[in-house]
Amino acid sequence: MKYRDIRQPNYRHVGNYTPRKEAKEIVTGKALFLDDFSLPQMLYGKIKRSPYPHAKITSIDTDKALKLEGVRAVITHKNMPQAWGLGLPVHRLLMEAKVYHVGDVVALIAADTLEIATEAVSLIEVEYEELEPVFSAEEAFMEGAPQLYDRFPGNHVDNGIKYFQPDGPWWQIIKGDVEKGFSEADFIASDKIKFDKMPAPLAPETPCCISRHDGGDEYTVWASSQSAHIMKLMAEGRIPNSNVSVKTFNVGGSYGNKQSLMTTVLSSCMLALQTQRPVKIVLTKPEQLTSYEVRLGSTITAKIGMNKEGFVTAVEGDWLVDTGAIADSVQGQVGVGLGEAQIVLAKCKNWFMDSHIAVTNRQAAGIVRGYGGQELNSCLERLLCAVMKEGNFDPLDVFKKNYISPGDMFTWRDGRTWKSRSSLFFKESMQGAADLIGWSLKWKGWNKPFAVNGSKARGVGMGVIGNADISEDNTEAIVRIVPDLVGGKRASTCIIECDITESGMGTRSNACKIAAEVLNVPYEKVSITEPGTKFNPSNYGLCGSRGVITTGKAISNAAMEAKKKALDYASLYFKRSADQLDTKDFMVYVRDTPNLSVPMFKLGPKELSIVGYGKHMEMFDIPSCMAVFVEVEVDLDTGHIALCRICGGADIGQIIDIKALEMQIEGGIGSACVDTAIFEENILDRATGRLLSSSLIDYKWRPFNEFPAYDSYIMESQIDSFMFKALGIGEISGAAGASAVLMAVSNAIGADVKEYPATPSVVLKAMGKI
Amino acid sequence: MIKKDCIVLSINGRKFKFSVGTGFGDVSPSETLTHTLRRRLGYTGSKESCDAGACGCCAVIADGEAIASCMALTVEMDGKSITTIEGLEDPIEGLDPIQQAFIDEYSFQCGYCTPGIIMVAKALFMSNPHPTANEISEALSGNYCRCISQYTVLRALNKLAGNENAELATFTRASDEVEDPIPVRQELYLSPYANGHVCAHSLD
Repeated sequence: MKYRDIRQPNYRHVGNYTPRKEAKEIVTGKALFLDDFSLPQMLYGKIKRSPYPHAKITSIDTDKALKLEGVRAVITHKNMPQAWGLGLPVHRLLMEAKVYHVGDVVALIAADTLEIATEAVSLIEVEYEELEPVFSAEEAFMEGAPQLYDRFPGNHVDNGIKYFQPDGPWWQIIKGDVEKGFSEADFIASDKIKFDKMPAPLAPETPCCISRHDGGDEYTVWASSQSAHIMKLMAEGRIPNSNVSVKTFNVGGSYGNKQSLMTTVLSSCMLALQTQRPVKIVLTKPEQLTSYEVRLGSTITAKIGMNKEGFVTAVEGDWLVDTGAIADSVQGQVGVGLGEAQIVLAKCKNWFMDSHIAVTNRQAAGIVRGYGGQELNSCLERLLCAVMKEGNFDPLDVFKKNYISPGDMFTWRDGRTWKSRSSLFFKESMQGAADLIGWSLKWKGWNKPFAVNGSKARGVGMGVIGNADISEDNTEAIVRIVPDLVGGKRASTCIIECDITESGMGTRSNACKIAAEVLNVPYEKVSITEPGTKFNPSNYGLCGSRGVITTGKAISNAAMEAKKKALDYASLYFKRSADQLDTKDFMVYVRDTPNLSVPMFKLGPKELSIVGYGKHMEMFDIPSCMAVFVEVEVDLDTGHIALCRICGGADIGQIIDIKALEMQIEGGIGSACVDTAIFEENILDRATGRLLSSSLIDYKWRPFNEFPAYDSYIMESQIDSFMFKALGIGEISGAAGASAVLMAVSNAIGADVKEYPATPSVVLKAMGKI
Repeated sequence: MIKKDCIVLSINGRKFKFSVGTGFGDVSPSETLTHTLRRRLGYTGSKESCDAGACGCCAVIADGEAIASCMALTVEMDGKSITTIEGLEDPIEGLDPIQQAFIDEYSFQCGYCTPGIIMVAKALFMSNPHPTANEISEALSGNYCRCISQYTVLRALNKLAGNENAELATFTRASDEVEDPIPVRQELYLSPYANGHVCAHSLD
């Protein structure tokens, strides 16, 4: 089958650009974000944080803070109204007599104003007895290393948990016979690679929430979370017997990172319970940088074998994961990372890949776009480069050969084995992007620049990654065709009931577009309910690039059911079979006699809407694919790297919104992705355990005037995911970027670079200049 | 030094008089313009994000110049004319051309940094109606956007400035490039769900 043989559908809405529902509100400043919202009688919460990475609290004096006028509550580990836990599995309390990382919660304050609360923080006097800290997974597993929690002997976090792996923990890829695999290999490479600077995805809007205690065990939380359902799920697991209603606004960037916000949410809930008033907590930018969730630390020691044809024959290794001081959903990330490795190296039959998760005295690692896959891939692809270099292969050929094709089997994070039924054309999409960057001309072999001009050398590199989460978790939706009350002929409207937050990807608008397409009505006539867990059908949330696919499936099924009901009503009205009828703009008409038409509002019972229900059920058999090619220019004298150009290639199945897709692809540059190979890192001062990169000035990010050219190559091969044949891509669009950059830098300077990020000193060291 | 009891600011064309002091309701000498705009007046369009002048989310225009309102004390703004994102839309003419261009080119994702970016761009276009591509990206170098809408923001602003060939990002839709496509049934109908018959259009 050739790509040209696939008939491209010509939809009314799907595939085109449609301005977002809230576009005008956003450009006029009217769009509501959490901190733009307040409740009557609301208090402001602040958190007194630990200055030490590991310490015992020997004394804590809150008298002065309590005496400050306007302070309504000060809570410490000594007077918590209820003992709420943190982590998955729960391994500590929100506040304890010990602190486990710089920024750990020591006391909570609620006050009438933000200024009073801030002042009260400095009035709390705490004395600590410092304990020896550990700052990496390797150190944490050493014999005699300081222990953090009793729940995790040897600092070893449970392998797998029931929520992610219903059949039992899964944390190793064990397949075939590794010995035999290596004996069949013609080239073998082994190494230890680290991606351990735990960079921050750093959404512009800091994590924030307002909590209200509604009596009994009921709470309402307004939060800057991209997934209200996940927050509800996590919070109800921490607050015993509770029922938490979560509501969300526009979310000012998240990148997977603002999901459960557990520490912040529990803090404000506890203050709300104590004061019986709503409490708002908005983290400051330094708090977000030093105390909020970052990427996992990842260290891999592995050996890869490859045969003469360029197929990987065996992978053996151990993946050490640093989850920081709180283990929260890390097992899911490890599962996805291991799953993604099998998607990239799908033709390898022999595996023994182990993983170990450690708690350390660094700030907690949490969910971030890339979800374990980027952290593993950044290490594993460096190692793959080493074996490709041994055999002098063109990496484009190797990635094409080893990438998953329909029928290949892989084990996903649920511990179950799935057979891919995804695209036939991933190889072509890799080639399409390779052609855009001019790979055939610029690839000169390993560690060879394609152009040297004085002290400036240019090189190209590439990386490929895939993910099978696009259909994860269940979702349901209701679509209602609401009659126009005064009987306007085509004036009915459509309401989607589904819990979808808008955090920048346009998922809410895409949902409207999908319903409009199914019912064949104008996009403007479709709207969607306000996000929130209580009054909407359940939707797991925005994660794993599942948003448009899973809600799209539930909504298209619901809209089909509503449409079918309208046709059934009209079939009685026209005395024709429903097969002869169709809908347009809230009218039902007879196909071969179009002047026979009836507005939908006349068909249903007076005043009532025509309702359809649809759902999506979880599966993991449709992997996606993203190939990233980069061109860099390295100054051989200074070691400075300039990112000149990026080309991305993907088979997306079907474009739902062309501009939204473009930005999902380009978005891979942000949220601690591509630049973690060049300059982005959290810099830990090992002497104090504190970050030196604790403000938006010290933490390095790419400004507007330093953006490289970006060219995307997108194929639409109509993948069987749901009615509109699309794949999700945001999770992985930048995930292979960092490893691609290091390959390009190695080629430009003629020496292997294996350290993230490749700062000038790393580059000069690799060249032997310092 | 002159000690003042009250200050007057013009915000979006409306005059506001504030008493300065530390009493209830007074503007204290340490109050930032962000605080005054967002918490006192309810102009929540500009955002308080880094509070260190590094991200541009709080940008407003003061006497024609874009400033980080988190770094400006309200008392320093005495006598100045401030425009916020809320004041950009003309009640009669409608959206500012920059706002419209941002919708047309989809120049935002989460939209949190967008008001700041628009205000900085507006200040640039007020002083220089035809900035070059470099001048535009330089002017925005203090604006943090993590969703990566930079390409579409620059596209919108370069179009407004009349800069041709300033495109930094391209998007190739492979199906547009299929040469000699195999002929399929003529697509008369906009949607496969309004499939089959010309009457789908005859309803119009």
